[in-house]
Amino acid sequence: MKAIIISILLSGLIMSQQFVELKQTNSSKIIVKFMFKNGSICDPNGKEGITFTTAQLITQGGTGELSFGDIQDKIYPMAASYYSSVDKEVAIFTFQFHKDWIDQFYPIMIGLITNPSLSQTDFDRVKINQLAYVDQVIRASSDEEYSKKALEDFLFRGTNYQHMVEGKSVSVSSITLDDVKNHYKSFFTKNNLMIGIAGNYPDSFIEKLKKDIAKLPNTNPTIPTPPVVKMPDGIDIEIISKESAFGSAIFTGYPLNITRADDEFAALMVANSYLGEHRKSYSKLYQVIREQRSMNYGDYSYIEWYNNGGGNMLPPSGVPRQSNYFAIWIRPVQIAKQLKMQYEELKDVNVGHAHFAIRMALREMDKMIKNGLTQEDFEATRAFLKSYIRLYIKTPGQQLGYLMDSKMYGRKNYIEELGVLLSKLTLDDVNKAIKKYMQIDNMKITIVTDVSEAGPLAESLKNNTVSPMTYSNLVKAGLSEEILSEDAATENFKINVNNVTIVDSKDTFK
Amino acid sequence: MMLAVESYPSDQKIFPYPIYQYKLANGLNVVTVPFDSPGLVSFYIVVRVGSRNEVESGVTGFAHFFEHMMFRGTDKYPREKYNEVLKMTGAGANANTSLDRTIYHMTGNVDYLEKMFELESDRFMNLHYPEHDFKVEAGAVKGEYTKNFASPFQQLYESLLNTAFDVHTYKHTTMGFFKDIVDMPNQYEYSLEFFNRYYRPEYSTIVVVGDITSEKVNALAEKYFSQWKRGDYSVQIPTEPEQKEKKSLHLQDGSIPPFMSMNYKGPAFSDTKIDMPAIDVLNTLLFSENSKLYKKLVIEEQKLRFLGGGAMNSRDPYLINVQASFIKKEDFQYVRDEITKAIEDIKMNGIDDKLLDETKSNLKYSFAMSIDDPDEIANSISSFIYLTGDPESLNRLYALYDKVTNEDIKMVATKYYVDSGLTIATISSDEKGGVE
Repeated sequence: MKAIIISILLSGLIMSQQFVELKQTNSSKIIVKFMFKNGSICDPNGKEGITFTTAQLITQGGTGELSFGDIQDKIYPMAASYYSSVDKEVAIFTFQFHKDWIDQFYPIMIGLITNPSLSQTDFDRVKINQLAYVDQVIRASSDEEYSKKALEDFLFRGTNYQHMVEGKSVSVSSITLDDVKNHYKSFFTKNNLMIGIAGNYPDSFIEKLKKDIAKLPNTNPTIPTPPVVKMPDGIDIEIISKESAFGSAIFTGYPLNITRADDEFAALMVANSYLGEHRKSYSKLYQVIREQRSMNYGDYSYIEWYNNGGGNMLPPSGVPRQSNYFAIWIRPVQIAKQLKMQYEELKDVNVGHAHFAIRMALREMDKMIKNGLTQEDFEATRAFLKSYIRLYIKTPGQQLGYLMDSKMYGRKNYIEELGVLLSKLTLDDVNKAIKKYMQIDNMKITIVTDVSEAGPLAESLKNNTVSPMTYSNLVKAGLSEEILSEDAATENFKINVNNVTIVDSKDTFK
Repeated sequence: MMLAVESYPSDQKIFPYPIYQYKLANGLNVVTVPFDSPGLVSFYIVVRVGSRNEVESGVTGFAHFFEHMMFRGTDKYPREKYNEVLKMTGAGANANTSLDRTIYHMTGNVDYLEKMFELESDRFMNLHYPEHDFKVEAGAVKGEYTKNFASPFQQLYESLLNTAFDVHTYKHTTMGFFKDIVDMPNQYEYSLEFFNRYYRPEYSTIVVVGDITSEKVNALAEKYFSQWKRGDYSVQIPTEPEQKEKKSLHLQDGSIPPFMSMNYKGPAFSDTKIDMPAIDVLNTLLFSENSKLYKKLVIEEQKLRFLGGGAMNSRDPYLINVQASFIKKEDFQYVRDEITKAIEDIKMNGIDDKLLDETKSNLKYSFAMSIDDPDEIANSISSFIYLTGDPESLNRLYALYDKVTNEDIKMVATKYYVDSGLTIATISSDEKGGVE
């Protein structure tokens, strides 16, 4: 069965490369992950996005011996694949190949990591794609992803967590190939590297890898410290106004002084799962906003970064962060312009559903903070999580990723340890964690919406205007007393709005 | 270390695990694949109904909407109770709908497999939702449309299908036309009819993969699904007439990089005819990152940010799709011509035999590396169950890849990659796409 071996190789005076091994002799493939502890926080001022550029250029370029095209020719019959991913504090290269091709693929893999060609033509190609992303794609392809990235920009303003890992328009434009070469030497070194290997590989593979990885730069990188963000005073809202938005996409957040490294995280996890487990209909936010009122496609809450929530059902590995925040994600709700077009009876509405949805989410959270979980809620949610976290590591790639992340948080095996922590929890632990970490009065909110909605919505939020839920007549006719009375209590639920600004979509991420 | 092999061994079935099949008296097929995933099991139900079945006007998007309704409860397990029990199992559970099928899936602790059977059999046989719940749920579908429609690509895709098809139900997306989505709350009676027609054993297959035996699965299937009654409905899908001339459509939107997709009418999926396997081979060698086209247009000339192509397997003839994301919109015509030239060259001269072998190897190693957890395996075989009803189609398709010859490649290039079957869709800041 699957043996987990964690070893640390010490080599040289100050170098400490960490190896994580997950041998699986019944598997036909091999996965290797190179995790550099750098990330976008290492981007120098004015060169934001360069860690991403460097990682992209390594996977989109060649080696000392082979061009990008040569590599594609060689790996084509193998169907081997590799990619990079960059987050705030790490850059990871993942290679996957079938065990039949281990000898042929190895030199390509090691060449890309230790001797990348970093050529001008590959660089031009990478840069033009990165610019298209920061200039256009992030604003135009998914309003919900846009609102999430905009929230990070807002919440972490003035810190090294503010900029998107892809950078911003002006900084990406200024990155040169020499900048990238220097960045590679400074931050992709043998001294800030963890290597993970999973699958069906021989022992000699590890030995060879350990020897060859010594060819990496031997610089000792200075890694900046992740920010400690001050709690906002009141609720600050940025409304991003864009042409032809179809709905209002909402993201909220406030800094959270706890991570997976803390044992108390398990208690907070139960509270968060009860309130807003990602893509689950068992949670409160989903039930009141989507299931009972069908205002949108889903509503969830988070106590750590969740990469690509629109695409992932389970939390992916590879995004360890020390600077954490609590977030609520309200997927796009209807805007007034659409409601007017859809229903004759709603022809007079001025504001769509965003204000009501925010009130409903915060009020639901407030109820949990005030009342805590019941013993029954606690038991059910804990039982769910104890099984559910096993699914986080159902593939060998995810098992390996989670083991490597564990070490970033000073843990050996996060999922195993979390299981134990969950078993030990009491209701009191959870309710104490709620009181300690959850609140609704101070946070930042971003809303991506249509130009026609931005103004009226801003006014409504600024003035805490009563915002009744507007149903079509068909739905309204069947609403229960309970729903109507909850709606009445929600529509004038006071939220602690401090400031509301409207930003033109063209001016975001400046 | 192991000796290298030049290509994937051709003398073995691509799917490395035995597939056990068992048919209940009511026609329900039960498929089990034992897999080494200690304590973990995936439980799928594949219903062979999708947006393809939406033949009546005014009800596009209904198969997908109905997938939502399946979570609205029964008398025994009303919505809240269903959620409560599902939460107890700790499973990851969801559903999704496409052109030809709706799939309901759960992955979780094998100790709860019987509970999963009980929950699923109850809702598949006894679904019962209040009319008000039906009207409310339509709002969530509208919310889904709203989030998807933020993407210009989704907007283009909707118009593309509407242009490329005249009468076949592939004319609309699985989400459906927006006017029909807004009207969904009025279709309660139709929803009852829809359930009555399609949520029947003869349309459905159970798939269980993981730490389990077929005996156990078959016994559970007998216990929980043998009372499910067969239906008698069969749908008549309009046949799409042969396309006679090139079509085009354009979305004026300067908010994303210029984009072009070329869509040729392709064949229906078959695990006995060589056409679709040959098209898969052709698309792989035309549009992979090592292809001549990719190297020229993306790497050397840097006209494109991205180039890709493929054909989705479908029950009726659908589209062979080529996609390109541009640096400059002025290059639309040039790239269109280069792609056409590459295809014409293959029609005349075929391809290099070594490249043909390498492509077959690529397809097979890709698959071999894609199946390392029960969920992925269940998903893989489900995608053949909805096409033919038989999971063994997977093995038959990959056996056909081995038989594809240079002549087959030339044949499919000549038969399907023709301008008279082409629809070109473009996005740019210009008023018109302007591609000939």
